[in-house]
Amino acid sequence: MAQTKRYGFVIDVARCIDCRACLVACSVENEVPMDNTRIWVHDLGIKGTFPDLTRSFLPYNCMHCDNPPCTEVCVSGATYKDPDHGLVLVDQDACIGCGFCVDACPYNARYLDNERGVVDKCNACVQRLDVGMSPACVATCVGGSRLFGDLNDPTSEVSIALKNARSVQRFDLEYKEGVFTGPNIYYINGDVLQSGMGPRMPQYTLAEQGWKKALVPLMAAAVGGAFMVQATYFTKQLIEGEKEFDE
Amino acid sequence: MSGYKNIPVEERRRLREKKYKKHNLANILTHWFNVASWLMLLPTGIAIISSPRLGLAPEWWQTLFRSMFGSTANLITFHYTVGLIWIVILGFNILLGFRRYFVPFAAHRMLLDKDDIEWLKIKPLQMLGFFKGKELPPQDAYNAGQKAYMYVVILGTLGIMSSGIVMTFKEIFPPFLKQIAQPIHWVSVFSIVAGLMVHVYMGAVFPEEKEAFFSMFSGKVSAWYARAHHEKWYYQKVLEEMEWEDKVMSETQQASEDKPLSDHPLPSM
Repeated sequence: MAQTKRYGFVIDVARCIDCRACLVACSVENEVPMDNTRIWVHDLGIKGTFPDLTRSFLPYNCMHCDNPPCTEVCVSGATYKDPDHGLVLVDQDACIGCGFCVDACPYNARYLDNERGVVDKCNACVQRLDVGMSPACVATCVGGSRLFGDLNDPTSEVSIALKNARSVQRFDLEYKEGVFTGPNIYYINGDVLQSGMGPRMPQYTLAEQGWKKALVPLMAAAVGGAFMVQATYFTKQLIEGEKEFDE
Repeated sequence: MSGYKNIPVEERRRLREKKYKKHNLANILTHWFNVASWLMLLPTGIAIISSPRLGLAPEWWQTLFRSMFGSTANLITFHYTVGLIWIVILGFNILLGFRRYFVPFAAHRMLLDKDDIEWLKIKPLQMLGFFKGKELPPQDAYNAGQKAYMYVVILGTLGIMSSGIVMTFKEIFPPFLKQIAQPIHWVSVFSIVAGLMVHVYMGAVFPEEKEAFFSMFSGKVSAWYARAHHEKWYYQKVLEEMEWEDKVMSETQQASEDKPLSDHPLPSM
């Protein structure tokens, strides 16, 4: 895949003050239903001993993985990784909201919108990116904690922030032999990995598992068998020629 | 039992000329409507399934159809629109002809009898090359294989329709149903497709069944074909003819007793 751009977030953990303006901006921009949210800010808790205390927060949304487990389970390809810029998107006109991907996402970054019967998630505000603006959460971030840009471009804001960072961490996860999710959110200037907020293994629903493991081999045998029978008779017919059967 | 192979050539010729009606117009039109729908639905349906975990459709096929329709969403919209039309028209046909066509069909042509069970035991073994000399038991208007496939088709069609409706009206149904609807839809389709391969081959290519193919246009098969492949049905037809003759005869007799013979025009033989 000749992916020229690699969009990603760089989040400066030290700068987040849990104001949650990003949640509001996101919900307004993307018309997210009241009882749901596409992005989160998790509390990493208080660290240290009195009086040397620090408290940090973890802004969190879809990691737009390099190897997303969620797009693999999508039967119709309604959710996909965009070949141009690598964002993981949901085509909600094609999505039927079955939730295979919600269970498969190791980061719990997706939710089911039961009102519309579709899956929804962070799309990095592609509608804003198309007109040259940054995502709503990034544009509104008062502390400058959230940064967004092309990680392949060494002059972009995110690349420079990564270069100057004191520490860089990612919630990487090996979910198949040797295949890592490769998340595209880089957390800088703070320790997030020991927080217990890390990824889980992808889960596959019973329907998806049963389909893959039992029904596919079963039906392959049935259709293959029928095809072989038909092919055998047809070959026989071709070799022996057609007999006038009655005279 | 079925000694049709010993029938002399002259008699064969006579039987070939004689035609029996096997399918009515409603059946024929519904059949070809079904064919047209399947031709549209099967390729698009296969193209929709793109999950690499399932690995069911080749990638060029997916790309081809997605490019043809512009996007995945358009492809899916086309698929369920044709599917809904299929459901409505098929359902309408069945409701419209329920008493006239469907009930007699279900009562007389679908049920498996003793001979059918016997046929189902022998035929698969014969296809594998055993019991070549053994005669197959006489068959009704549809043979046991056709009847067995009919059940697969009916159950499969119901499975396709119900699961398709669940996936189409995604706002109404809970995610759990939408999850199981997908494999049900797929399994129903491919259990029908498995039989469809044999159905199409037997119906359109296999030389002995050529008449069956043309009967799907004309509705008629020759008495010879009926005698050879659907013996029970053939004798039933003959019986019906004889009964009809008896009826006509007794009616003419009745009429001739009531009136003087000279006034009544007798049917010229």
